[in-house]
Amino acid sequence: MKSYPDNRLRPADALVVLVVLAMAAAIALWQFSARTQSDALTVVVEIDAAEVDRFPIESLETHTYTNNGVTLMLAPYVGGASTVSSQESELTRGVCVAESDCPTLDCVRTGVITRAGQSIVCLPGRIVVTLEGAQQDFDAIAG
Amino acid sequence: MLASLALALSYVEGFFPPLLLLPLPGAKWGLANIVTVYALYTLGAPSALSIVLVRCTLGALFAGNASALLFSLLGGLCALAAMTLLKKCRIFSLYGVSVGGAAAHNCGQVLAAMLTLGSFAPLAYLPLLLVVSVFTGALTAFVSTLLFRALAHAE
Repeated sequence: MKSYPDNRLRPADALVVLVVLAMAAAIALWQFSARTQSDALTVVVEIDAAEVDRFPIESLETHTYTNNGVTLMLAPYVGGASTVSSQESELTRGVCVAESDCPTLDCVRTGVITRAGQSIVCLPGRIVVTLEGAQQDFDAIAG
Repeated sequence: MLASLALALSYVEGFFPPLLLLPLPGAKWGLANIVTVYALYTLGAPSALSIVLVRCTLGALFAGNASALLFSLLGGLCALAAMTLLKKCRIFSLYGVSVGGAAAHNCGQVLAAMLTLGSFAPLAYLPLLLVVSVFTGALTAFVSTLLFRALAHAE
């Protein structure tokens, strides 16, 4: 005779939920603090874990990448104000995947990324587009 | 037989709004875990383990995608490990165990993504996935309790 578990919530369950949410918050915080907003952003494209392309975010060309049967088109994004009359410093620059023929289209759905540390991931194509900021990290400062 | 049921559930849940309410990669209902939970509570961890292994292997085979195996396996095994541990503690109900399993499943899949892509980028998806896993875990537990109740009545 099998014994089935009783189906009522127990106080300890809240503990599981809290731990999971705390983990989520911790990871989100760690990710957020690692990012800096900088004008001198570089777009880094990695395919199959190897870097294949790198260009400044100011580049207005679209780049197309194909891997593992998937083709995606990376397009620049310029926003924030009318591009004709605005100062360069008012513009927000980013990249997004404009088109892709991968099965899940998560890359397209991610939308525009504009800050250092953010990335767009295409899992089927094994393509990762990351924004790198100017080198600001120092391990140690002597003197 | 339970493995084929798990496979069928994985297939069916694909028909529901594919990526839940959020366009999150890797977010899914996790209905196949109902079978894992059932096996864990009625047959024990070793049997649940074999079911998970069979389900992951065959699932990857049917999907025609060998790399899906790593994701499926890491997710499923992490979930089973977490659930077995939580169940052993005896202070958690099915809900706690299930939420823990869902969270572990997502962690395993993000880990698989990081290994495949050689990048920390997938980690950005984990916070939201974890929040979602609280709900999907609770849902799986709820359906499982209905199942257990129905089975108890039938005996």
